[in-house]
Amino acid sequence: MKQKLMSSVQIILLLPLTAMGLTGQSYPGKPKIIRCRSLEKETFSCWWKPGSDGGLPTNYTLFYSKDSEEKIYECPDYRTSGPNSCYFNKNHTNPWTTYNITVTATNEIGSNSSDPQYVDVTSIVQPGSPVNLTLEAKTSASITYLWAKWSPPPLADASSNSHMYHYELRLKPEEKEEWQETIPVGMQTQYKVSRLNPGMKYVVQVRCILDLGEWSEWSSEKHIQIPSEELPPEKPTIIKCRSPEKETFTCWWKPGSDGGRPTNYTLLYSKEGEEQVYECPDYRTAGPNSCYFDKKHTSFWTIYNITVRATNEIGSNSSDPHYVDVTYIVQPDPPVNVTLELKKPMNRKPYLVLTWSPPPLADVRSGWLTLEYELRLKPEEGEEWETIFVGQQTQYKMFSLNPGKKYIVQIHCKPDHHGSWSEWSSENYIQIPNDFRVKDMIVWIIVGVLSSLICLIMSWTMILKGYRMIAFILPPVPGPKIKGIDTHLLETGKSEELLSALGCHGFPPTSDCEELLIEYLEVEDSEDQQLMPSHSNGNPSKKGKTTPKETDSDSGRGSCDSPSLLSEKCRESRALPSTLQTQDVRDVQENKAVKRSWETQCVASERKTLLSNSESTKSSTWPAAQLPDNQPPMFAYHSTVDARKITLITTNVNVAPVLVENEEKHQSRYSVTETVPGDMEEQGEMENLHSKTEQTAVQVKQNRPNEKSPFLNGTLMDYVEVHKVKQDEEPAVLLKHKENSGKTENYTIPGTSKEYTKVSTVVDHNILVLMPDSRVQHTPMSQEPAKEASQNLQQGQAEKNMSYCLTAPSDCKRETSGSEYMDPSSFMPSFK
Amino acid sequence: CPTAGMLTPNGKEYAQKIPREELTYVILKLLHAWKEPLSHFNQHMEHHQELPDDSLSKAKQISKMVHELETGIEKVTEKMQSMGIISNSLHGMASSEAAGFSSTNEANMMSDSDFIHCFKRDSNKVQCYLKILKCRIMPENSC
Repeated sequence: MKQKLMSSVQIILLLPLTAMGLTGQSYPGKPKIIRCRSLEKETFSCWWKPGSDGGLPTNYTLFYSKDSEEKIYECPDYRTSGPNSCYFNKNHTNPWTTYNITVTATNEIGSNSSDPQYVDVTSIVQPGSPVNLTLEAKTSASITYLWAKWSPPPLADASSNSHMYHYELRLKPEEKEEWQETIPVGMQTQYKVSRLNPGMKYVVQVRCILDLGEWSEWSSEKHIQIPSEELPPEKPTIIKCRSPEKETFTCWWKPGSDGGRPTNYTLLYSKEGEEQVYECPDYRTAGPNSCYFDKKHTSFWTIYNITVRATNEIGSNSSDPHYVDVTYIVQPDPPVNVTLELKKPMNRKPYLVLTWSPPPLADVRSGWLTLEYELRLKPEEGEEWETIFVGQQTQYKMFSLNPGKKYIVQIHCKPDHHGSWSEWSSENYIQIPNDFRVKDMIVWIIVGVLSSLICLIMSWTMILKGYRMIAFILPPVPGPKIKGIDTHLLETGKSEELLSALGCHGFPPTSDCEELLIEYLEVEDSEDQQLMPSHSNGNPSKKGKTTPKETDSDSGRGSCDSPSLLSEKCRESRALPSTLQTQDVRDVQENKAVKRSWETQCVASERKTLLSNSESTKSSTWPAAQLPDNQPPMFAYHSTVDARKITLITTNVNVAPVLVENEEKHQSRYSVTETVPGDMEEQGEMENLHSKTEQTAVQVKQNRPNEKSPFLNGTLMDYVEVHKVKQDEEPAVLLKHKENSGKTENYTIPGTSKEYTKVSTVVDHNILVLMPDSRVQHTPMSQEPAKEASQNLQQGQAEKNMSYCLTAPSDCKRETSGSEYMDPSSFMPSFK
Repeated sequence: CPTAGMLTPNGKEYAQKIPREELTYVILKLLHAWKEPLSHFNQHMEHHQELPDDSLSKAKQISKMVHELETGIEKVTEKMQSMGIISNSLHGMASSEAAGFSSTNEANMMSDSDFIHCFKRDSNKVQCYLKILKCRIMPENSC
């Protein structure tokens, strides 16, 4: 009581002082009782945690009372359980009592008490962990057991060893996290664990408990490796053997599984031809699981038989033998001292020289080991390496690297024979300097300036003379314009010019009667056998229609003279006929000559030249019947074409059969012209054309009866139809060719009594130019010959070499007798 | 191997220690020793129908090469002896100890692959010796 009063007075007295905060010190903070434990129910300890000490040395006192007694006791033992603890020994411990414990912290200023803790000994019992846990793996009858042994937790009081603990054991495989098994052991301090996997590692713990209270903590872990089945170790394998410089070598092996038992490895070898077995001289130099053979133990050109043996307590196992000949297992170290040098020769691009040294161990100087090098490089960002084989030299010049880029280069080497490549040397970086040559830059600058100037100029001119330029560059699309017709001309009304523009020569015809307007029929002997009508130029009746067609379509006749050319000639020679025709027809000679020349002119193809010297062959037929007196008009046309058939149609209306011959007579003759004497048939066929009126069958015989004239083939051209091309104009005869052979038909051309009996020219190879006979006009003649003579003047044949020489015979001409035509007979002799 | 009985330097040191004449002599001896076995082998090969033509021609080529090599080395040796690079002392030995290999009977008992293996090894020996010899005689030449 007194003590209580005193302490409380002290506290009251101290309070104001501390409240005033003198000197910054204060009474201590409140301690806290952490826990109270009893190890064996007979003693117990309490531990507390101090609060703040207020800066002054603090004293801690523990006071307790039992049950509801008022007596307060102080802690009997502050030391046994350590600092900040109180140990209640046996004498002070009553198991069925509730203790009311408080801890007071006191310092100079004041004191502070913890909250009271009510402790029932029986409820705080927790033994310590068992100790001395030992594990042992034993194998009996090929089953492996684990023996676990431990000791009970220690007690301060050795006499209380009779306590009965119950134990518990737990184990798990080492790598697992969860405990595989928790086994109640009972009161023993040992235990045998079975059902363990051999070869695995396990972790074991134990704990204990008294008849009441809590379990102790788990003891510390104990590890054990369960040995695998009792087997000898697995067979090791030899990985490889290598010699870095062809003077020593090393072999490496890989162990098999050893089953957890300690295993020993030994390497044994023997040489070829020797029986003795040696053991590896050096296990260490090259690292674990290796064997190093130094120079003394290395022999060349001998085969080593090497094996590795693994041994453990159970037994041993040997690897497969490995045969090695040192000369074939050389793998050098990578080259060293890789250096780069940039060389800049004059007048050439700079290049890079890469040099390196052979690896230090390799003895290249004595020639014992010869190395070949290979380097690879790639741009830094590149994917693929470019590998270059260098050979035995130790330098390399690189020319073709891109300036400004960064390259990675590596080198490796190998013996020149029987070896393997070394590792690649460490990466070397090359930075190619940017090679801006001043010259190049200047050139580019000049080019740039010039082009910009040009662009400026162009744009300016475009702007200033925009339209003109555009018109110059992009010419306007021309409107339709007929050639020759100038709209201005039309407007002015000059028809002459207009018509001349249109190509009508001589239209309106000038009153040049001398000019013979002769229509020229071009008789063409072609496969199509169509004659193209040749229009008369300047035909007065036709305006604008008679456009000379100078189609020079290449029919492949192969004639030297194109029809157009020929027509040119014809035109040129038109003057001739006119001149000729002015002559007296009876002036044969002149005619002859002229005609001949004219004829030769107009006859184009040499082959088909009518002037062939073959007797009976080609002879241009000229409209023979120019007999002034009653000569029936007849004409023979002759189409000469390369190796084509010629149909010779001659009609002789009023003439007795005439043999086509070179006769001088001015009788109606028929000259049979024949084309190329190539594959012509014998022109046996004559067209017999009978005129309707007093016909005399005119038989045109071939000039050369003997000769084989490939004249009339099967496809004999049969000109049987004559059409008047232009009804209202001067005669123009359209001879239609009929593919008949040897038909003779009689046709009449209604209305027209024109007979084309005059052959004006023979154009080209198969064009016979016929002109109408003026005299014939009056006599009704059978048109047949005319028809037949005339060739088809259709213009469908683009391929035909047709030329048109057509001149409308003038009336004047007609007046003149005999001057309009040429007497072919006069030419005959020339043909012979 | 047909040359099993021959004593040849078994490593770099030995090859460098023995005098040059002896090395030359060893080379020549090796080459000479293979002439006859090679020709026997070629004959043997010709009887084999199933071998491809390449092998036959290759084998003939090889024995020809060996012969040429031997001739060449003999010439070089003579030249060297005349130039005084090596001495003449062992010149006689080459011809006297020509029969350095086992008889042909033994060669016939060997299998083809063994034969080829032996030849490969001996040709490698010859190559190595020649290189060392070259560097010993003319060190400045890429040695």
